[in-house]
Amino acid sequence: MMDSLLVPFQYEYMVKAILLSGLIGAVCAFLSCFITLKGWSLMGDALSHAIVPGVAVASIFGLPFSLGAFVAGLLAAVGMGWVKHRSRLREDAVIGVVFTTWFALGVLLLSVFPSSINLRTIVFGNILGISDQDIVQVVCIAGLSLGVLLVKWRDLLVYCFDASHARSLGMNTTFLHFLLLALLSATAVAAMQTVGAVLVVAMLVTPGATAYLLTDRFGRMIILATGMGLFCGIAGAYASYFLDGSTGGCIVVLQTCLFLIALVLAPKHGLLAARARRREARAVAGALAPSMPKGPQPPSSSLSA
Amino acid sequence: MSDDSTPLSIEVTDVTVAYTNGNVALRDTTFSLHSGTVCALVGVNGSGKSTLFKVIMGFLKPAKGTVSIGGRPVKEAQKRNLVAYVPQSEEVDWTFPVSVWDVVMMGRYGSMNFLRIPREEDRRIVKESLERVGMSEFKDRQIGELSGGQKKRVFLARALAQRGRIMLLDEPFTGVDVKTETAIIDLLEELREDGHIILVSTHNLGSVPEFCDRVVLVNRTVLASGPTAQIFTEENLAKAFGGVLRHFKFDHTDLPGSARNEVLLLSDDERPLLLGHDGAPKRSGVGTKTGPLVEDSRK
Repeated sequence: MMDSLLVPFQYEYMVKAILLSGLIGAVCAFLSCFITLKGWSLMGDALSHAIVPGVAVASIFGLPFSLGAFVAGLLAAVGMGWVKHRSRLREDAVIGVVFTTWFALGVLLLSVFPSSINLRTIVFGNILGISDQDIVQVVCIAGLSLGVLLVKWRDLLVYCFDASHARSLGMNTTFLHFLLLALLSATAVAAMQTVGAVLVVAMLVTPGATAYLLTDRFGRMIILATGMGLFCGIAGAYASYFLDGSTGGCIVVLQTCLFLIALVLAPKHGLLAARARRREARAVAGALAPSMPKGPQPPSSSLSA
Repeated sequence: MSDDSTPLSIEVTDVTVAYTNGNVALRDTTFSLHSGTVCALVGVNGSGKSTLFKVIMGFLKPAKGTVSIGGRPVKEAQKRNLVAYVPQSEEVDWTFPVSVWDVVMMGRYGSMNFLRIPREEDRRIVKESLERVGMSEFKDRQIGELSGGQKKRVFLARALAQRGRIMLLDEPFTGVDVKTETAIIDLLEELREDGHIILVSTHNLGSVPEFCDRVVLVNRTVLASGPTAQIFTEENLAKAFGGVLRHFKFDHTDLPGSARNEVLLLSDDERPLLLGHDGAPKRSGVGTKTGPLVEDSRK
């Protein structure tokens, strides 16, 4: 029994996949705290799709995929900012238009110029078949992002909470805005290798959303989310060996399970806790006014009496 | 960090602000404020009060004209943490996972090193600021779990912790209980004594003469500015508010033929409740053309 549980660790590709998924899961989860609080979930979704044409162009010219993807992500973000600033469209419409355009461009390029990379890999990820060269890239991106987050998380927190205040403190909010966008693009690029472009957004939103339900303190939210990202990355990749299923699918389903548990059972913000509070409020109201008859009353004449 | 030696002032000179969609929010705006003043910024919604705040904070660049703080450009004033801002309650995300203590500590970030790790002094200042607004016992509450007045006081404490000698308050009395309103006014008066410049945007006309020594009236430009007694006249207010103000005239003249003793009540949106000498609410006349007790002399 024990031996069969250890089987995945006998394969080098599984060990790599497990460690890499854990790292990427943790970094994405750290960032997800800012994404969910800033209300950028949709933006995360958009960027993770918008990096596809960058991969396509990079593969055509033989450049590193990560570089192409990162540039494409940033271009899309800047494009969205520009259209939003110049037009009267609402942000969600702008995001919808720009990111689908970018994604379509990527799909088109990959189909017109057949290259070494296939669309399936980009869209669904292929952590089990990742090359050593890509591993180095992903580790560098994830490590750098993690470093920036560890140094700058308090600045980003103030920026997300109250940008006006951040400015009055002399912080460069334009820089922080683009820093957050750049981190979003970078982690999306790294996560694309693990779970694929379509599921990146889950990695960038779910852990933060889950942790938000569990705590009222930002520091704790970061720790909870990052821990969860790490655990789900490792456990998801490990489980995918036994299920013989998609690694990305395993990781995201696991994250969703934790989210659902938190949604129902969270001590303060969970559904059960809310129900208990409502019941308590009713009980208190009942105790305060024991003589009040239940149900709708006939129009009373006591007011005019 | 000590800027106490430099004379404090805000000079807004000939400022015009236009938004990207071409709307001109402020035109040729000029006024100045000097050390030790509580000044009210009064105007209807959309008159450019918030725009003026944003210009002073450096969030918006004027298309024309200059803003200087203590004789320096706004950017430099920001770096020196000179200007603190107390936002409107509607602008704050109250579900954010931060405690009262965390929020007030954010006031100290400007004077921390780049890792923003609080020192002993920062903790002491945060503690003091919380004590000053009477919020010490709530320091571990999540900010959404406070009453309207308490929420306001937290952000006031943050501005105190920032040690900004210029303080901008956006509608500080909205959704605030009477006790907090008095506490805020007392605090502002203390800060005035210390030589701060306080700029308060408000539509609470009645409270202005109580605690503001100066008034700036805005309607897409500065209509008038100066000491409250000179500026807060019926004529100027009519200019600032157009036909929006409600006028209620009370005639207290005792005998026909004796000296006229009239009181004029002005209110921008809320109708006052009037009770007659028998304690019964008077419907008559409030907001209508004429009535026995009150006459609406809307112009």
